[in-house]
Amino acid sequence: MNVLIVEDETGLAKEIATFLKTENFLCDLAFTGIEASEKIAVNLYDFILLDLGLPDYNGLDLIRETKKAGSEASFIIITARGAVEDKVKGLDLGADDYLAKPFALVELLSRINAVARRKFNVQVHDIVLGDFIMQNQSRKLFCEGNEVDLTKKEYDLLHYLVLNRNKVLTRHQLYEHIWGNILDDQYDSNFIDVHIKNLRKKLNFHSPSPWLETVRGVGYRVSAG
Amino acid sequence: MIRLKTKLALFNLLSKLVFTALFLLFLPWIVERVNLRQVDNDLIQKRENTIDLIGKIGIEPFIHSDTSGIFGSYNILKEEFISLERTGIAEDLNYIDVTDRIIEEEEIAYRVINYTFMVDGQKYLLEIGKSLASIQYARRNINRIILVFLGFIILITLVTDLQYTRIILSPLKKITGKLKEISSPSTFDMIPVKTNTSDFVSLDNALRDLMVQIDESFRKEKDITVNISHELMTPVSVLRSKLENMLLRDDIDPDTANKVEESLKTLHRLQSLVNSLLLIARIESHQYLREESFSVQALLQEIIEEVNPVAEDKEVTLTGEFINDHQFIQANRALVFSMFYNVVNNAIRNTFPEGKVVVKTFSEHGKFRTNISDTGNGMSEAQMSTLFTRFKTKRGDDGDGTGIGLAIAKVIADFHKIEISVASEPRKGTTFSFIFPESSL
Repeated sequence: MNVLIVEDETGLAKEIATFLKTENFLCDLAFTGIEASEKIAVNLYDFILLDLGLPDYNGLDLIRETKKAGSEASFIIITARGAVEDKVKGLDLGADDYLAKPFALVELLSRINAVARRKFNVQVHDIVLGDFIMQNQSRKLFCEGNEVDLTKKEYDLLHYLVLNRNKVLTRHQLYEHIWGNILDDQYDSNFIDVHIKNLRKKLNFHSPSPWLETVRGVGYRVSAG
Repeated sequence: MIRLKTKLALFNLLSKLVFTALFLLFLPWIVERVNLRQVDNDLIQKRENTIDLIGKIGIEPFIHSDTSGIFGSYNILKEEFISLERTGIAEDLNYIDVTDRIIEEEEIAYRVINYTFMVDGQKYLLEIGKSLASIQYARRNINRIILVFLGFIILITLVTDLQYTRIILSPLKKITGKLKEISSPSTFDMIPVKTNTSDFVSLDNALRDLMVQIDESFRKEKDITVNISHELMTPVSVLRSKLENMLLRDDIDPDTANKVEESLKTLHRLQSLVNSLLLIARIESHQYLREESFSVQALLQEIIEEVNPVAEDKEVTLTGEFINDHQFIQANRALVFSMFYNVVNNAIRNTFPEGKVVVKTFSEHGKFRTNISDTGNGMSEAQMSTLFTRFKTKRGDDGDGTGIGLAIAKVIADFHKIEISVASEPRKGTTFSFIFPESSL
């Protein structure tokens, strides 16, 4: 998939590109609004990651222009201006999602994937994790036909780890994804540990779950194929 | 509190009553004075007539030399009398006074003119009297009439005064109504109130200008907030991405990974600090809407459910006692959630294993309240006084919080006009009380 990263902070733009390339995206960079406008006119993109705070361009105008030109690119707004109005305006103009800086790269990826699934109407498949089957349609986990009784938070936690399988997620990344930013101050690394502990207890009651790993000093990882 | 309209009407009534009382006190006295003067003039006139008559026809028709030397005449109703007699007193008399005379066994007060004169070397005393009964009647009648008439006038003017003040004060009512309606300066009704009273026009204008000014300063503050957030968040964002990318590399050794994660943690603290400050600034500059309506009990239940795993892990019992529910209107659910969440979370952090945290809702004095109590270590007076001050609090030391959670809770409470208070006893526990505004009940 082709992604255009429109971001005037070159350091950030390059890091995003590095990350997305390892996820097999083709990345283009634009550091100014004019540059972005030119690239959009010439190339076809599936995704445009757009920083609203460009020095030479109103990011919202760029969305308007692109939509007017008939492009089917999906916009994900990334901005440090966390104002609610900006978010509403951006989404009104047809942006597909909104991320406030600073965000986790894995979070960006999961947003892109979510938009892609909606856009291309991808069927969500059941995921096999050892003896377990994760049914994403019904948001339920089964072990040899028996449902594992998970709370909403436990399911969300597992689901996020599974979506980013084979990557180590830090406690803060997990917390941020599930609780969002508004409770940022109450972040407590213990929170995630408690939930993982409960989750493991429930999983192990049915069957061992060696695929849910603790990476010492870093975080957690699901390493199933 | 008394309404302005009522105050004006009361003042009017009072001033009329005082006026009437003065009137009742002095008018009869004045009337009597005037009447007496008239009577006196009348008596003097009659004396002149009598003297003229005596001058023309002589004294004989009245007093014969052979009779007792006294002439007296009363009219039938004893309204007036005249008497003429010889007298031996040396001095000349000419005065008017009031004397009681007994006439046919009836004592009557008369106004009497006494006058002496000489005819043919003989001195005579002339007395002409007029009964005061009629004057006294008149005085009584006048009092009665005045009382009835003034009573009537007071009643009529009271009603008209009330109506009139209501009409001329109606623009003021509209202006205060406008003030009551607004939730923030930008929602102030800018349409001028229709009135030809200049005071109200200038009041309305002044308020309008003030609202525009406040709105403008809010907007400026908002701009500053946005700029600071951009300036601070951009470098944090770059650093974060770099560190996260490092952590995702396959060739990273565990020791380095550990160090990178620690750096990320530190960065998160910085991020959460900036976020908290921004949150406070945004709430204080009214960038959040208050347009939702929700059940407080449902919200608290949600929080309990969410926090319970952590409480259980710590062996703290977290329970809800919901005596009353409350539909909170014109509120921001996410913010109120955050407020209670912060306080409940704090309570659990500060409670020892096997302790208790209770979330209780009830109504008291017509107001909805929520109490969050723990059986933790409690606080000293000094700790309580700085509890809601930013960065001054660091209750527990097992959390990663920045010590700003309670300051945020306070700002959110203020934003929703919720009264927040703390009661604490060292080694017994702490209770946070939230008193909801009455208007939303």
